[in-house]
Amino acid sequence: MMAKLITYLRDRAHILKYVFFAYLLFAIVFDYFAERHVPHFFGDTIIGFWSIFGTAVCLAMVVIFKGLYNNWLKQDEDYYDK
Amino acid sequence: MISSSIFMHPATLFILGALLLPLLKRIHISLQKVVLVVIPVLAIIQIYHLPESFGVTRYMGFDLIFGRVDKLTFVFLNVFTIMALIGSIYGLHVNESGQHMAAYLYVAGSLGVTLCGDYLTLFIFWELMAFASTFLVWYRKKKKSIEAGFRYLLVHTAGGLILLAGIFLRYKNVGIEGLRFEQIAAEGATLADYLIMIGFMLNAAVPPIHAWLPDAYPEATVTGAVFMCAFTTKTAVYVLARAFPGFEILAIMGAVMTLYGVAYAVIENDARRILAYHIVSQVGYMVCGVGIGTAMAINGACAHAYAHILYKALLFMGVGAVLEMTGKSKLNELGGLYAKMPLALIFTVIGGISISGFPLTSGFISKSMIIAAAGEHHMVGIMIMLLAAAVGTFLSVGIKLPYFVWFGGKSTEECDIEAKDAPWNMNLGMAMAAFFCIALGFKGHLFGFNWLYEMLPTPVEWDPYTSYHLSETLQLLGFTGFGFYLMVKILKPKPYMSLDLDWFYRKGARVFMWFASKPLNAVNEFADNVWNRIGIRATMLVATFFSWFDKEAIDWVIDGSAQSVVNGGDHLRQIETGRIQQYIGFAVALLFIVLIAVVLAV
Repeated sequence: MMAKLITYLRDRAHILKYVFFAYLLFAIVFDYFAERHVPHFFGDTIIGFWSIFGTAVCLAMVVIFKGLYNNWLKQDEDYYDK
Repeated sequence: MISSSIFMHPATLFILGALLLPLLKRIHISLQKVVLVVIPVLAIIQIYHLPESFGVTRYMGFDLIFGRVDKLTFVFLNVFTIMALIGSIYGLHVNESGQHMAAYLYVAGSLGVTLCGDYLTLFIFWELMAFASTFLVWYRKKKKSIEAGFRYLLVHTAGGLILLAGIFLRYKNVGIEGLRFEQIAAEGATLADYLIMIGFMLNAAVPPIHAWLPDAYPEATVTGAVFMCAFTTKTAVYVLARAFPGFEILAIMGAVMTLYGVAYAVIENDARRILAYHIVSQVGYMVCGVGIGTAMAINGACAHAYAHILYKALLFMGVGAVLEMTGKSKLNELGGLYAKMPLALIFTVIGGISISGFPLTSGFISKSMIIAAAGEHHMVGIMIMLLAAAVGTFLSVGIKLPYFVWFGGKSTEECDIEAKDAPWNMNLGMAMAAFFCIALGFKGHLFGFNWLYEMLPTPVEWDPYTSYHLSETLQLLGFTGFGFYLMVKILKPKPYMSLDLDWFYRKGARVFMWFASKPLNAVNEFADNVWNRIGIRATMLVATFFSWFDKEAIDWVIDGSAQSVVNGGDHLRQIETGRIQQYIGFAVALLFIVLIAVVLAV
């Protein structure tokens, strides 16, 4: 049953995509209404700051860490046995 | 009086259990299974009835304190015993007594460290943990595991020696009072204190002395890894919280840890290695909380340790189930398993969203406490680092890992791996952990009782469910998902390993080996010639006796486990390595006899 449900959802991935984008929009709108505490730093005062932060950090992490990996850290799996 | 305090100690239960298991297995296998469940259940009940202090003995002029219970101790005892039950149920299908014995002795060591009130007792249990857990790696019985086990043991021995040096130095500086295991003030901390801290930090896997963890855990047995991910690092968090709260260096190191672990989790290919690196990251939050040192931060560190043990074990169990059923743990070899192992998928996703700190899961109420404590302590830089690591957590463990194991763009038809859902006991173990992950999400309540927050060392005034905190989390997680959506092609794992700082000792050992084989060998040969003429006859006689003793007596005691480690596995079957494992088994047994003798003699 569980497997059928997951397969059903997976076959409708294009619909889930729009649900996901709707959620992202909701998250920003929700931030507009959220009651703010005393700000720890400037980011706490900007509406949608954490959306930008999340996207930027995520992209930066992938680019930087994958870059380090491809150019330096990546080795064959039997590297230490050679 | 003393004998009653021995039985008061929860570690005794696990040690007795470990000794009983092989005997009961000889009678009937189901007896072993019953004991595996009964012992942790008894321990869970027992910790509620511990007095504040027990098992205080005097030995050779030193006060040994086996039991000291306060709120900081209790929260760790509670989660350790619950975890022992979950881990035992998950490993119920394993018939080999040796694996369970190793796990139980390991738990006993961890409980011993948590309860002890002085550095000498701490050190004994500390070493017991290291030795017992090594066997959880060796029982995988593959060439890679045996090698990784030796590295693990050597690193921990080195760490133990640093700790011991610190303890001795402290004894010399402060006198007998210095052996009491209490909080150390950040002002006026000496070299001795910092040596002890380094010993603790090694077990907490703080970079640059962390490489043993992602080296050994992925090579451990499926059930062994579930135990290991829970106990070693979290016991280290406990001792750091006990002795070193408010040391700023820990706050900085902790924040660096969170990002270091995440970096490797993003690039790694092996599912269990991703989780192992992620322990480094998550323990970073706790170390950071300890370093910040405010009441709220310490509460956060304890709450996060509690939540982390359960969801990280859940993740290791989910991925372990896949490894058990398919024999694979590399992401590039997996994918499309969603219809074949749906239960493991659901449990792993629950672990994944908990570790990422989704609202209504345990991560949300614990991680945020540390981040907020950093903010309120005006450590904005650290707060930003912790939040960035939270993004990386969701990216690597929340999305990447389940996606590439269960989907990876493959449909069921394209997935040619033979697989079905794991045995009932594995699913039950996962279900229990998953229950805690969700149940603790309601402000740490359980069945309407104030469960986790009530247990923390100081009263909690923090409310995680404010609208701003919700909004912050919803945005961070949502847009991390968006980032994954954009980057999924680049994130696709490849069948390579990544270098880490263990390079220094793994490649450095080669230099040493060269030195040993060339210049040293020449000297050795000369000495050998002399030896051959004089000493060999007498030694042969002694050696014959010991080899018999090793094989027959010791092996019987540890249920043929050493013999099976020697016999099983791939190619690394040189006699020397097998012997060393027997010696270590022997040493652990001896440690016990001494320990019991000490307590009884007083």
